[in-house]
Amino acid sequence: MQPFQTHIGRAAVLDWCDVNTDLIIPARYLKRTERSGYGPLLFADKRYEPGTAPPPDDPSNQGPLAADFPLNHPELRDATVLVVGRNFGCGSSREHAVWAVQQAGFRAVVAPGKGEGFADIFESNAFKSGLLPIELDPGDWDALVAELRAAPGRVQVEIDLNECVLAAHTPTGDIRFGFEIPEEERRRLLRGLDAVAETLLLDDAITAHERSRPAWLAASSTPA
Amino acid sequence: MAETLFEQVWGRHVVASQPSATLLYIDRHLVHEVTSPQAFEGLRMAGRKVRRPGLTFATPDHNVPTDNQFQILDPLSKKQVETLRSNCREFGVELYDIGGGRQGIVHVIGPELGLTLPGLTIVCGDSHTSTHGAFGALAFGIGTSEVEHVLATQTLWQGPRPSALGVEVNGVLPPGLEPKDIILAVIRALGIGGATGCVIEYYGSAIRALGMEGRMTVCNMSIEAGARAGLIAPDDVTFEYIARADRPFAPRGAALEAALVDWKRLRTDDASAFDRNVSIDASNLAPQVTWGTNPAMTVDVGGVVPNPEDVPFATPADARRALEYMGLVPGTPIEQIAVDVVFIGSCTNGRIEDLRSAARVFEGRKVAAGVQALVVPGSEQVRKQAEAEGLDRVFREAGAEWRQAGCSMCLAMNPDKLRPGQRSASTSNRNFEGRQGPGGRTHLVSPSMAAAAAVAGRFADVRKLLK
Ligand code: SF4
Repeated sequence: MQPFQTHIGRAAVLDWCDVNTDLIIPARYLKRTERSGYGPLLFADKRYEPGTAPPPDDPSNQGPLAADFPLNHPELRDATVLVVGRNFGCGSSREHAVWAVQQAGFRAVVAPGKGEGFADIFESNAFKSGLLPIELDPGDWDALVAELRAAPGRVQVEIDLNECVLAAHTPTGDIRFGFEIPEEERRRLLRGLDAVAETLLLDDAITAHERSRPAWLAASSTPA
Repeated sequence: MAETLFEQVWGRHVVASQPSATLLYIDRHLVHEVTSPQAFEGLRMAGRKVRRPGLTFATPDHNVPTDNQFQILDPLSKKQVETLRSNCREFGVELYDIGGGRQGIVHVIGPELGLTLPGLTIVCGDSHTSTHGAFGALAFGIGTSEVEHVLATQTLWQGPRPSALGVEVNGVLPPGLEPKDIILAVIRALGIGGATGCVIEYYGSAIRALGMEGRMTVCNMSIEAGARAGLIAPDDVTFEYIARADRPFAPRGAALEAALVDWKRLRTDDASAFDRNVSIDASNLAPQVTWGTNPAMTVDVGGVVPNPEDVPFATPADARRALEYMGLVPGTPIEQIAVDVVFIGSCTNGRIEDLRSAARVFEGRKVAAGVQALVVPGSEQVRKQAEAEGLDRVFREAGAEWRQAGCSMCLAMNPDKLRPGQRSASTSNRNFEGRQGPGGRTHLVSPSMAAAAAVAGRFADVRKLLK
């Protein structure tokens, strides 16, 4: 996993609420068995002109971009921070949704409301894949979006995971917001650690737990 | 302080704790073809093994065609199913494959096999893993990185313990109403993000009165309110289901006796132990129909399509987008909305009780002209049982198609899809844009309401049909 410490980039806004994982990446693209190549498939049914989304067997075969989809704004095409509405990523557990956001070039997603910004599984998938999910205080989120709207493409967003601060450098000055990240997730992201490797160090504890499991539970894995 | 059921199950599975994270042991890991290939690949690349292949169980479901399971024409679907087969062989995981008599939707076969038991932790790379909570298990969906983690370690890191939300459902469900109406009403009351960060426990007289199939329907859709999991304390209904003859993995004899002693302790003694409580009266419910693009956008069958300004939990802009996608005008009575396709199946409503409910409505009636009705059993076992009861005959005589087991038109990864603009009455769990095929318009209903829509050609109040 790529470590995340600090990041500077442009931010794009998609302020719809309850954006679900089927919208983020439609199910037909989940037939792929690879972990890469999902970037062009992000929001496929919204991002391209109707009927021109890439076929599942050829992700690079993309149609013309839909003019009215917010992320297609010419000044935002190289955005690396995605600002979204509340409850982003609700629906299925598909990690492909996180991969698509990430592989489309985003390093962080910013949503309003502590504990309300992201659906639970999406948020945990994001941490596991190294996409930083940031929940801002709703008032701060409103202020950030207002700045981004006032000067599309001309606001630099700077994220510092060491300090847990998100700053927006706007044509008229800087604004700074704090955010919280669970300490374990922050530690792993900062160092880009592989959770499996770390857990395997706890083998003794896992084995001890296995020994303490009731017999009826262990026995049930052998068919009668 | 008193602990809730979910907190008891959580506490029993803690392997290690850190200030903001807990390592939980996982008792059962269910695997399907869609969310596992990259996880197995990760193991292979790191040279790791599956720690407990004996606690890991796989089946193909999402990509399986339901007209002829053995003929997967789509090369990507075929590759995905074959990848599951080769991964199971390579890593020693038990596979319930097509044609073996036990294949089906992962959440339907777990309980059938006796894998789903009270007090267990159960995970699967699938958000509807909450289904298994119907047995008093802590069961939840995980992403592919976590699938890999569980395969390698049989454990899972969780953040701070979720909060406990008590949903009490009392009263007597009126005739013509089904467990699906209960859960749609609960989601309507909570909102699509209303239970984010929570585990829901369902309790009350209307829940106790449900059979296991109905309880699974209720727990299945917990995720549709954002909940991490949903569960119901086990009771005699649960124990009777587990004790049935054909549950190869359920404990038997002395092991079952020991388990029962334990399972009977699994309960929330005091409703004040929940962090939050919500209460619903089942006696007052009407059949529920979703009108929009998320499962909280629901009205009574006698209602009308709402104004975008009056939609709870949605901004007017989001509600307008939903109306536009659904091709609906505010004020339109639900019973005037015509359907093109009816889908009865899925891990929400593809079990034997669901098929019985639908068959009661189809009996002696015909599917309306121009409507395609698909009945898709959730598993090979459900299919066998339905045929033994003659339900397949009822469906066929009514003009519905009787299919083979799989996820089917729940998410359209197999050939069963809506065409753009087509409208469906569906017993599945998600009415998201494009869920049943790009441009398709989904209305979620109970199995008997779906059958009523099939025979009427539009949404109809099943209570009038059953009179
Ligand atoms: S039936 Fe639908 S919701 Fe259930 S596992 Fe299959 S695709 Fe997912």
